[in-house]
Amino acid sequence: MAVLFIIPALIFVTLFMYYPIVQTFIYSFFSLHRTADWLNAQFVGLQNYIAVMKSEAFRGAFGFTLYYTVMTVAFELAIGLGMAIATFSVHPRLRGILRAVLVVPWAIPPIVSAMLWRWLFHADAGIFGYLLMATGLVSRPPAFLTDPTLAVHSIIVASVWKNASMMGILLLAGLASIPQDIYDAAKVDGARTWFRFRRVTLPLLLPTILVTVLFRSLWALRMFEESYGLTGGGPGTTTDTLSTFAYKYFFTYARFGVGSAYAMVIFLMVVMVAIVYVNRVKGNLRFKE
Amino acid sequence: MNEQSSNGRRDLKRWVLEGLVTLAIVGFCLGPLYWIFATSFKQMGTEYVIPPEFWPSRPTLQAYAVILGIQAPGAEQASQEGALKGTTEVKASPHLNFLIPVRNSLIVSTTVAAGALLLASLAAYAISRLRFRWKIQSLMVLWVAGLLPAVIVIAPTFVLMRSLNLLRTLLAMILPNIAYNIPLTTWLLAVYFSQLPWELEDAAKMDGYRPLQIYRKVILPLSTPGLFSAGIFAFLGSWGEFMLASAVTMGVMEVQTVPVAILNLSFEYRYQWTWISAAICLSVALMVLIALVFQRWVIQGLTAGSVKY
Repeated sequence: MAVLFIIPALIFVTLFMYYPIVQTFIYSFFSLHRTADWLNAQFVGLQNYIAVMKSEAFRGAFGFTLYYTVMTVAFELAIGLGMAIATFSVHPRLRGILRAVLVVPWAIPPIVSAMLWRWLFHADAGIFGYLLMATGLVSRPPAFLTDPTLAVHSIIVASVWKNASMMGILLLAGLASIPQDIYDAAKVDGARTWFRFRRVTLPLLLPTILVTVLFRSLWALRMFEESYGLTGGGPGTTTDTLSTFAYKYFFTYARFGVGSAYAMVIFLMVVMVAIVYVNRVKGNLRFKE
Repeated sequence: MNEQSSNGRRDLKRWVLEGLVTLAIVGFCLGPLYWIFATSFKQMGTEYVIPPEFWPSRPTLQAYAVILGIQAPGAEQASQEGALKGTTEVKASPHLNFLIPVRNSLIVSTTVAAGALLLASLAAYAISRLRFRWKIQSLMVLWVAGLLPAVIVIAPTFVLMRSLNLLRTLLAMILPNIAYNIPLTTWLLAVYFSQLPWELEDAAKMDGYRPLQIYRKVILPLSTPGLFSAGIFAFLGSWGEFMLASAVTMGVMEVQTVPVAILNLSFEYRYQWTWISAAICLSVALMVLIALVFQRWVIQGLTAGSVKY
């Protein structure tokens, strides 16, 4: 009886999420060019995977995806933690302002955020290039989006802006859940601010930090919009991620087999992080029997 | 007396420090948006002037007029674009109408929010209120799907939509997006429902109500805030969805949603940053407004949805 309540949701999720995974898995073993009709296509075994692994482009995208994930999550954590602590410790009136402001970058769709940053990083009239010139650090505006090294880091900067405040919100909730009397006790014991932070706040916040980092990594590994919108993967393929490659193989080159092999690699990476994440949080998935 | 004045000075120092920290964070979060906002009010062409104007000396709504199709992208603009591209060809551009993608996005997001709420609230009711086997397992199956990367489902979904003849329709975005938003909404609603008092339900059972009646007449009316908060997430989530929308609309203007339309606009008029800025401002305004007005719920939902569970 109760199952009837669950079935509609289950049908949707199965049809649009679980079934397509199986299908992508199947695609990845077939040679599919301009068709998805795998029943009439040639079975090629692991050849798509081998071709992908062997290609220079894959190694580049794999490296960039990992580098991007580590860098963005690290910087987002540092900045987010700073913003959370600041928001937590300022006067309540200012705290209200900060909490409101932190929500704003989160509310902006990723592809729109990428477009916005493309203007800030514009080669001729971008505000960053101008500010760097005005301070005399450079003689001409840097090619933020066309120089390989700069492009990689411009994308990281844009992503950190988009996501750091969301990290801040999550960490702020963690800070607020630390019982006040622990602080009071530490204060009575004469613990200084830095000591209190290192010996009281940080250890108690560690579980929240861990879950937040895992959660963000889950999304950073599949990064798509930031590259697609800011550089389109360029210059060359330096800022192509595994996701942008998969997408291009699907919808630009119409090669579903190779694209699916790319997608499976992302899937496996996400699953590995997801297993750790799910194990951390599933203890709370409890309802009255 | 002496102590008081030193206290006062310390207070002042603290206030200045807190003020500066607040300003820095506000600048970090809103600075980039401000720059787009300022650009959207500039005269066409003046956005390239160096040094840039931090606020346009002659602010104009021209960019908005062009984006909304009130003013045609004139020959003057077209020729300027031609000059920048290094061609002399002057082509008359058709009227732009950014209200079309806004309308499409509103239709998609509202339908998705409503659909996801309906399906998720039914599932959440069973999970939080009914007794049955495989309860936690079915919650897991619904919830874990929310962690999957879109790229793994995108190609088969595209093929499915093609075989259903739904490509280039809004339905091709609505149906999958309902599924994408079920994991989080189910979770948020299950938590909300489980906190409602059981006495009401017991009383309803005494009156001979069946589960579906209890869901409709007891649980749903009591859960307006919870439904609202979960709905906001489904709305914002589907508003920003890009990968699927870009694939299934296939460049057809009439069915594009806002994220797809903005990207296309920037490909088509890549030198008209006042227009692109105006489009960004228009599309972000509503989202930011929703997020700010319902800030408390957004923050609660975010934390419940990722960290707490």
